[in-house]
Amino acid sequence: MKQRKWLTTVAASVVAVSVLAGCGSNNDSKGASPSASANPSASSSASEGGKQFENMELNVAVFQGGYGREYWDSIADEFMKDYPGTKINITASPKIAELVRPKIVAGNPPDFMYVAGSDNMPIIDGLIKDKALLDLTDIFNEASEGAPLKDKILPGVLESRSSSPYGDGKVYLAPYNFDVMGLWYNKKLFDDKGIALPTTWDEFFALGATAKDNGRSLFTYQGLYPGYLEEMIVPAIFNVGGQEALDQFYNLDPEFWKSETFTKVWGFLDKIANEDNALMKGTIALNHTQAQTAFMQGKAMFIPNGTWFEDEMKDSPREEGFQFGFLGVPSFETGKPMMALTDVQRLVIPAKAKNPELAKEFLKYLYTEKGVKLNGEKAKGIMAVKGAPDLVKEFIPESTYNVYKAVDNGIVTVNGKFISVAKGSKYNPSDDIYKPISSLMNKQMTVAEYGDKLYGIFTNIQKELKENGAQE
Amino acid sequence: MNMKTKRGFFIAACLLPGLAFFLLFKVYPTIQIFQKSLYLWTGVSDEPKFIGLQNFVDMFHDDVFLLALRNTGFLMLIVPVVTLLLALVNASLLTQSKLKEKGLYRTVFFFPSILSFVVIAILWSFIYHPTIGFVNSGLELLGLDNLAMSWLGDERTVLWALAVTMIWQAAGYYMVMYMAGIDGISPELYEAASLDGATRIQQFFYITIPMLWEIIRITIVFSINGVLSISFIIVSVMTAGGPDRHSEVLMTYLYGQAFTNSNFGYAMAIGVFIFIISMLLALISNKLTDKEAH
Repeated sequence: MKQRKWLTTVAASVVAVSVLAGCGSNNDSKGASPSASANPSASSSASEGGKQFENMELNVAVFQGGYGREYWDSIADEFMKDYPGTKINITASPKIAELVRPKIVAGNPPDFMYVAGSDNMPIIDGLIKDKALLDLTDIFNEASEGAPLKDKILPGVLESRSSSPYGDGKVYLAPYNFDVMGLWYNKKLFDDKGIALPTTWDEFFALGATAKDNGRSLFTYQGLYPGYLEEMIVPAIFNVGGQEALDQFYNLDPEFWKSETFTKVWGFLDKIANEDNALMKGTIALNHTQAQTAFMQGKAMFIPNGTWFEDEMKDSPREEGFQFGFLGVPSFETGKPMMALTDVQRLVIPAKAKNPELAKEFLKYLYTEKGVKLNGEKAKGIMAVKGAPDLVKEFIPESTYNVYKAVDNGIVTVNGKFISVAKGSKYNPSDDIYKPISSLMNKQMTVAEYGDKLYGIFTNIQKELKENGAQE
Repeated sequence: MNMKTKRGFFIAACLLPGLAFFLLFKVYPTIQIFQKSLYLWTGVSDEPKFIGLQNFVDMFHDDVFLLALRNTGFLMLIVPVVTLLLALVNASLLTQSKLKEKGLYRTVFFFPSILSFVVIAILWSFIYHPTIGFVNSGLELLGLDNLAMSWLGDERTVLWALAVTMIWQAAGYYMVMYMAGIDGISPELYEAASLDGATRIQQFFYITIPMLWEIIRITIVFSINGVLSISFIIVSVMTAGGPDRHSEVLMTYLYGQAFTNSNFGYAMAIGVFIFIISMLLALISNKLTDKEAH
């Protein structure tokens, strides 16, 4: 008996060692090849007018979510027609991160990736932390259809941290579709009853009485996922403290939690929690679908959500005549414009891609008028390109078009992204900030306690960043 | 080659594929978990950096981990005890009594075990739904409006609510195991006991439980480990760890650290911790129950 056990252990370790050895040698050989092949192909493509590539095969991995995969199939077909001889292989999946993760770990990433969806985004964060993305700055400086490509992109997008994660002005993540987020209401109800849309938080809370008359609460949100509240909190921070406060927030500066901005912004959350009939009963226990259904059935006047709302809930029950209306986010003073949070989806080329030259060419192709239009037609998406809403108007639902038009017509858009925490840190700023809001809403924590808690967390995060920075 | 060595070769040839798969898919990953728990690694593309036992030290300075540990501990204490108690009582009632609907109850109680965990979680999140849910509607119907609350949205009730779901899911399964065990106990024992004037309750304690003891010991281990794995699905679907992490369990926290925080090394360390804990618990419960048997 004893001997047999010993035998299995030996067998186990032999297999383990041999597999490990296999992995190791694989990594080495693959790590070397792309850097060797990248240089020659770069020079050859430049000298021959950019239409000839040493490697004609491109591996593309895309997220198959609300925008589907049809667009990627058709844009690849168009590209292969315009660049004869090239071959594009597309892998699409709702769980794209799970599919590409082993390839990335093995040093054999796809040439081009579109990753979105909260399940998948961590892989991008990981690549950013590892500095494993290709620098795309030169693509946006090159001319495309007349002007430099960067002039075609919506203002502020390329400069934002979500495109330029290290704050050095270099673009590592290219913009794709963008979403607009804010508060939604039932347009039919407001039109029929002649209710004026609130433009300030005071007017918003004043609607509490109207809500009661109409047998509903003022507000609900996706309780299990308090992260949705970001769609109101971030614009509100910008509204109160301007870009300076927003930078403080996104740079994880502990002093933010002692600032006036914090007290004022979290004050309205506190008001929602404490005012009679402000928060729909039971909201905290609802998942996103349950909360959104309750809103559409007329249980609450407002809910935060993004431009995907109508499509996401197309099969859900709703009260009679329900119409999607986008409000945006009210401001604290009268006379200031409404605001909205935007989120731009990302396209990346891994630094270890086998065929970076063709991947760059493909990326540029997506921003052509043809590409933008095709994206509207097949994916019903709006690319973060100037004039995109009008280019694709015929393909998208009216409520969605109106939201994008509102952005064109003066809604102030806000976006941003947290700086990365230190490698190996246990903190996740977004979770640490938004999850405890459940306790605020449950009245089991005060705003002051909340602020102290986050001050502590942010202090630790900064400490880790300093220590970790010294190490590397 | 004589008959004996031939036979040996044949047996080895039959065992080899199975052994190879076992090593590849069970042993190798387990070794990897132990190894990776000593590294700082994002799980994406960088080279893992060896940091010794730092991950394990960090664990005990991590408030969320400690909260998740507490929540898991609560579930591991409450769920197996109540589940096995209920299963035992039900099994004994169903086998000993002369109920006509015995077969029906057996099926009904076992039913949750053949449903997928995700289905169960969705089902119960609607049962607990604060406005249209069965629980609150029932309370309101009975005029107990003030007891109605959002069970999954309150840090004081959320773990109990999850525990009820997990007990409901598992009780029928263990009941069927116990029933099979009870069927194996000789009816003469019960007959003799009742002739001696033992009540039903005395029979339960002095015949059923001692005769089932070996099965009960195994089910304790099963049930404790079941809580660890099932809690992941139940929590992910029903509460997402909320409100404010008050239903976060070790498994969900491990997943979050690995896949949303890109902290693979740390997640593996949590995995090792869970492994050790469940091994220890299994050993302890085995030791404790072993003594009682004598």
